[in-house]
Amino acid sequence: MSALPKLAYVGMTHLGLCSAISAASKGFAMLGFDLDPALVEAISTGKLPVNEPELDDLLRGNRERIAFGADAKRLIECDVIYVAPDVPTDDMGQSDLGMLERLLDLAIENARDDATVVVLSQVPPGFTRARQRPGRPVYYQVETLVFGRAVERATRPERFIVGCPGDPAEPLPAAMQTYLEAFGCPILPMRLESAELAKISINCCLVASVTVANTLSELCERIGADWSEIVPALKLDARIGPRSYLAPGLGIAGGNLERDLATVIRFSEAHGTDADVIRAFVGNSHHRKDWPLRVIHAEILAYLPEARLGVLGLAYKENTHSVKNSPSLAFIRHLKPWPIRVYDPVVPASAAPHPSVTGATTALEAAEGVDALAIMTPWPEFRSIAPQELAGVMRGRLVLDPYRVLDAKAARAAGLDHRTLGVA
Amino acid sequence: MLNHAHDVPKAPERVVVIGAGGFVGGAIGVEAARAGIPVRGLTRKDVDLLAVDGAERLKLELRPTDAVVFVSAIAPAKNSNQLLANLRMAETALRAFAEVTPAHLLYISSDAVYADDVHPVTERSALAPSTPHGMMHAARELMFKTDCPCPFAALRPTLIYGAGDPHSGYGPNRFRRQGANGEPITLFGEGEEQRDHVAVEDVARLAVRILSHRSAGALNAVTGVATSFGDIARLVAANFEPKAEVRPLPRTQPRPHLLHRFFDITECHKAFPDFHFEPLAAGLARVHREAAATAGAQEPMRRSA
Repeated sequence: MSALPKLAYVGMTHLGLCSAISAASKGFAMLGFDLDPALVEAISTGKLPVNEPELDDLLRGNRERIAFGADAKRLIECDVIYVAPDVPTDDMGQSDLGMLERLLDLAIENARDDATVVVLSQVPPGFTRARQRPGRPVYYQVETLVFGRAVERATRPERFIVGCPGDPAEPLPAAMQTYLEAFGCPILPMRLESAELAKISINCCLVASVTVANTLSELCERIGADWSEIVPALKLDARIGPRSYLAPGLGIAGGNLERDLATVIRFSEAHGTDADVIRAFVGNSHHRKDWPLRVIHAEILAYLPEARLGVLGLAYKENTHSVKNSPSLAFIRHLKPWPIRVYDPVVPASAAPHPSVTGATTALEAAEGVDALAIMTPWPEFRSIAPQELAGVMRGRLVLDPYRVLDAKAARAAGLDHRTLGVA
Repeated sequence: MLNHAHDVPKAPERVVVIGAGGFVGGAIGVEAARAGIPVRGLTRKDVDLLAVDGAERLKLELRPTDAVVFVSAIAPAKNSNQLLANLRMAETALRAFAEVTPAHLLYISSDAVYADDVHPVTERSALAPSTPHGMMHAARELMFKTDCPCPFAALRPTLIYGAGDPHSGYGPNRFRRQGANGEPITLFGEGEEQRDHVAVEDVARLAVRILSHRSAGALNAVTGVATSFGDIARLVAANFEPKAEVRPLPRTQPRPHLLHRFFDITECHKAFPDFHFEPLAAGLARVHREAAATAGAQEPMRRSA
């Protein structure tokens, strides 16, 4: 192709929006389409519905290449159309594919015959094969969005995994090939079902690592070992690797990993394969999510009925506004008899499921006069809290810091009873 | 896991305790009365659930607005005959409930419903009993859950201790009696096995909370703290003045394969956030004082701190 292809991303929620803006930064003309005119209008004026590092700046820097619209007829201008709405999940990890189905139909109806339609949203194996129509092949591409690192992941992908409706050995459509090559990373074409399962496989591997970390860090807490001393040794093992997910945490959150585990269990039940290990991942996640509840009951609530509590962080992880399956909210939900003060840099206090919650404007304000403080999201700004200052404003000494946001030595030196994952 | 019909506690109009003459049933009756709830306690003298007229007599005792606590059992069920007799008792109760359905049913079950090798045990752990006693409780839970058309909860206590415990099985009650009789407190081996022990008063307090919330589901009545029999013996011994002797004895049988049994009590924190268990040392000291005050000639406390 002589000119760069024009692209469209359909569905302006987290995945589609971040992917569209990141693609534009590679020099491609871009249409961001959504059915919701109000959302399109807001995004057009720079009011993004998601919080991601670098995203606002990236949009401003590439604004001339991106158009946003709610008119599906404009899709006819595009050479490659990615259908990329976020797929919501319920409490059981089941996907609601309704919006994806609707947008995919819309994309197919409005695409030129020579355009390529690609499903980017996460789907269960078999989804894309079932949507093939005569004369209208539909591709699938694995998304690897990470909340809080969406721009980094979308602009510097490790590889592209592409599910092909036909023979994977055949060349990809030229426009799609041109677009993907612009990122300078390996492109791995494969069967549709392989690509759909590849996404789930990636997440299962990540969950396996996290579950190992959680299981062994809990043991560390009982036998005098320190998981943070063990992790560097593991990361220097080439079979495990320097970027492996070995940080202990409060179970699995966010919704996407839970969905993949639920999908594997559902498919294994349907096909008679063994998925007990996946069920164990889920069980361990439930168990670790309750770590702060167990500690705060054992250390303070059992002895101090009038305790005042503080919570720093409501989002399910740092650098995101998402509270889906947030350990912080799960923790707060079970502290109803006690008044709590909360602070999160992005999420408002009203998101806390608690009858007597008070919002604070700073972390230190949330800690004022409390008997115990829980740092439930590892926001970067919490790392700059001086333990001495914390000790100065708190009434009690107990600090639950599962993610080791504070320097443990400094916290102890300040007289705080600092509790974290992976060490007694 | 428990689901509360009443988020804010609301006392039932009346609590009927089937098995009120027993150690646990009696304690639940006392605790319910203390909470201001009218209590009708039924013993075998009132209704014999193994008698031909058991269902008819029980029916006459019930009102549709009652919250019923079913704690009656031949326990521990050691063999098939006792297992089946216990199931017949539950069947009798269900026939009465079919005629007069109560507003709420709480069954006092046991942690014996779980497999021996589960760690840590939670309410999510699969029911896999390995004894007739555990099978009896698991089967009764299923019978009540399936056939009783009212909200149903099962409370599953672990090993229970208390001043009024008539049993003298290996553990706190036997240790206290040995000390009171001036005998050495004897252990199997060094008493290495770790078990969770819960005060009967805590079981009763949990039962009344379940009744007041009209909760449905299952909850373990466990403290989450496992203590070795050796440590329990030393705690009990320390309550005597002078301190009672703790004497390890050579094991005559192989040590049980189940050396430790730990529970995760998070579901209790979630169901009743402001409920906390009495620590074992405090509970044993309290029971010691109560037994010393009430035993008199029936249970001489010759040496009491």
